[in-house]
Amino acid sequence: MNAKVKTLDILPKGKKARVRKLHAKGKLLHKLLDMGFVNNVEIEVIREAPLFDPMELKLHNYHLSVRKSEARLIEIEEKMNEEN
Amino acid sequence: MKKIKVALAGQPNCGKSTIFNMVSGIEQHIANYPGVTVDKKTGFFTYNEHRIEMVDLPGTYSFSSYSLEERVAKEFIIDENPDVIVNVVDASNIKRNLYLTFQLLEIGIPVIVVLNMMDVAKRREIEIDSKKIAKMLNCPVIEATGSKGIGSEEIMQNIVNIASNNQQYEDFKINYEELEPHINAIEEKISSSTSPLNKRWLAIKLLEGDTSITEHLKHQFSNIEEDVKKEENIFHEKYDKDSPSFLASVRYESADIIYHKAVKEKKIGQETLTDKADKILLNRFLALPILILIMFLVYEISIVWGYKLTDYTWPILAAIKNFVIDILPPANLIDVPMITDFGIWMVNSANALMNYIPIFFILFALIAIMEDVGYMPRMAFILDRVFKRFGLHGQSTLPLVLGGAMVGGCAVPGVMATKGIADDRARMATIFSVPYMNCLAKVPFYTLLLGAFFKPDMALMMFFISTVTLFVALIVAKLLTTTVLKARETAPFLMELPPYHMPTFKGVIIRASQRVWIYIKKVVTIVLAVAIVLFAMLQLPGLNKEAEAKYEKSLDKALSSFDNKVKKSKYYEEVNTKEEVSELLNYYDGYRTKRMVATSKDSAKAIDEDYLALNESYFKFIKPKRDKEAKTVNKALRKLSTDRKRILRAIKNEKVENSLLGMAGRAIEPVTQYAGFDWKINVAFLSSFAARESAVATLGSIYENNKADDMRAEEAMALNSGYTPLHAAAIIIFMLLTPPCIATMIVVKMQTNSYKWMVFAIFFPVLLGIVLSSIVFSVGLINNWSGVEAMTYFYITIVSIALIIGLVPSKRINWKGGLQSKAQGQYNIYDKNLNKGE
Repeated sequence: MNAKVKTLDILPKGKKARVRKLHAKGKLLHKLLDMGFVNNVEIEVIREAPLFDPMELKLHNYHLSVRKSEARLIEIEEKMNEEN
Repeated sequence: MKKIKVALAGQPNCGKSTIFNMVSGIEQHIANYPGVTVDKKTGFFTYNEHRIEMVDLPGTYSFSSYSLEERVAKEFIIDENPDVIVNVVDASNIKRNLYLTFQLLEIGIPVIVVLNMMDVAKRREIEIDSKKIAKMLNCPVIEATGSKGIGSEEIMQNIVNIASNNQQYEDFKINYEELEPHINAIEEKISSSTSPLNKRWLAIKLLEGDTSITEHLKHQFSNIEEDVKKEENIFHEKYDKDSPSFLASVRYESADIIYHKAVKEKKIGQETLTDKADKILLNRFLALPILILIMFLVYEISIVWGYKLTDYTWPILAAIKNFVIDILPPANLIDVPMITDFGIWMVNSANALMNYIPIFFILFALIAIMEDVGYMPRMAFILDRVFKRFGLHGQSTLPLVLGGAMVGGCAVPGVMATKGIADDRARMATIFSVPYMNCLAKVPFYTLLLGAFFKPDMALMMFFISTVTLFVALIVAKLLTTTVLKARETAPFLMELPPYHMPTFKGVIIRASQRVWIYIKKVVTIVLAVAIVLFAMLQLPGLNKEAEAKYEKSLDKALSSFDNKVKKSKYYEEVNTKEEVSELLNYYDGYRTKRMVATSKDSAKAIDEDYLALNESYFKFIKPKRDKEAKTVNKALRKLSTDRKRILRAIKNEKVENSLLGMAGRAIEPVTQYAGFDWKINVAFLSSFAARESAVATLGSIYENNKADDMRAEEAMALNSGYTPLHAAAIIIFMLLTPPCIATMIVVKMQTNSYKWMVFAIFFPVLLGIVLSSIVFSVGLINNWSGVEAMTYFYITIVSIALIIGLVPSKRINWKGGLQSKAQGQYNIYDKNLNKGE
């Protein structure tokens, strides 16, 4: 599997990735964990809001919206055509 | 009767409230949790010789201490120690919901898991083996569908069984693998704790860095923080992981294991109906037009239908008013008893507020529908980017719209709707900006002024008035969030977009009724108390001797003119004493007012019959038909009635002029003169504080000239006030920014939970209003601007400022969230002193 490290805010619509690391502290870290951004979880970008921010994600089989400023703190590893 | 206390817990959008309504029925109480503005719903029901009290905890994703709701929920568990926790789980979203379930199971209080919305799960072909889940979790698992009333019997049965120890309850433990030795070590340290709570749970919470639990244990174990730190550091050295992340990971993994063993999804990866709907509703180009359309519909339905409903409710209110007038002592010519004035004043004040109830009911019902359907978070998703720039939040959309984004809304439901905003700073900012939106009751006031001073430019002025408010609200929000609200807690924008649901009729009606009831209970009662004070301020000290003599004289003139006209009539005998004339006059005026509100032929007939029965000989003067002699009396009577009304109005004006409020209006003239306000306008503004409607009434009566012609208030004002359109523009600008009415102040107090903020919400807009209208008026005076010019420059300035703020990116203040030193005191709800406060 070929992967490159980047952050969630630049992941394009329809792409999937796995969470690698959270660069957050305190309350924000806890909130992200509670919403399911735990290590290795798969995230799919569903869409951006009409004004490009926030973005809608799918993880643990539910939908969540996140501002890009927060998404920037989530380090991901993009899945490269795992299905094929 | 045994008593059982139940806590109802669950994540947001799991349908907790439908379960709550299904089990507890109609016997519900709404209050606030002590010291905070979170709703506490309590339901009572009886089952099988047990009296069960069920408290609905706020919906939370987790059970840590990182949001107000979570702190409140945990506070309840720690303090109240319920017998059973009922955990509602969304059957079609088991994996994420179990994350909370594990945390509840660890507390050590018996838990009953309710798999809600089984019908949705079935429709999506999700097969759930609930027996298997029960076995793995060691607790009862009940399948239910709250919206259809399925499962309530079983829930009650299990509550009673567990509470009366018929069922063996076993401890539940997740194995936290590498962290276990550290949990045990901390458990060891606090083994002598006097706390009744489960030690293992306390240990886990300490490792999570839970502030409230740390506080809870600190007084017994003074160096517990260092001990926990030590364990965490060892763990971190060994595995390069921090304990909160590790705990969360293990919980999600455990949830995953249960999900894979007990749940089979056949349609996984297929498009649901929600996905299809969102493709349209959240489409880049369609989202905004659809949102505007929905808002427009909400508006249209509540205001238009609401008004239609008021056609049915207003006669009831009018009947109440007439009934009150009938039982109060009647006026004797121009001598109106104080009690009668007071009674009418109170009924008018109450009616002005009660008249909004149908509109509010429809509004609250529509909001409840939007909440249940799941459109609310999507609305926030669409507009968050715009509002974020002004320190607000996507969720500020609805409150601002309700406050009056178009022609006119109402700040009361607007401020009430701020409850759900997750980010505390944005929530406070929204509360303070909503009152700037277009209040429905200000519309007549604007119409009066525009009709008097801006006849040719009415449309343009109305456009300015109705669109400038949103920009003002946004600027104020930005101003407050960067100054006084700087230190308030913020929250990251992580919002679930739940699947769409059909709302239940029962749920919507219950919620709408509860909110209307809160309005009646809190707002109407206090406004009436204030109305009493205002009445006194408008009446006292009353007329002096000279004035009284003056009015007696004009009355005598009117009476003798009447007497001259009817002298020759054959009915003169019936109307030749003062008492008779007074009685006839009251009879005539009473009949006229009743006929004014009669809407149908039948009701008009009924009034005729009533009055005929009341006094047959007087009736002919009211409806003389072909009786020439009676016609003469009728004509004279009409004249006398107009004369009396004129004198009464003059008396009222003189009373107002000399009243305490009039003095106050004069006292602030030195300040308000820079905005071009004289004492009359000041009095109108002061009296409009109780209810907006009275501003127009006050102005109308002040400017009516004392010639008995039926000149309209606009014309009278334009003629008699001596104002220029520039004055009017300044008045309008002040009215745009003027403080919210008392009803709004009370809901501000409810939502901010502090009188300090309520006072701020009163004086800040007044200050802003007087400063801005003074600037516009003074600068306009120097440059010889017309009213329209002044308004145009004001409008351009406000819109430009708003656009500059919106387009220039700003630093995020206090964005990392967390508790700032200043906000600590406001938020520590464990501080028992706060609970005794307000």
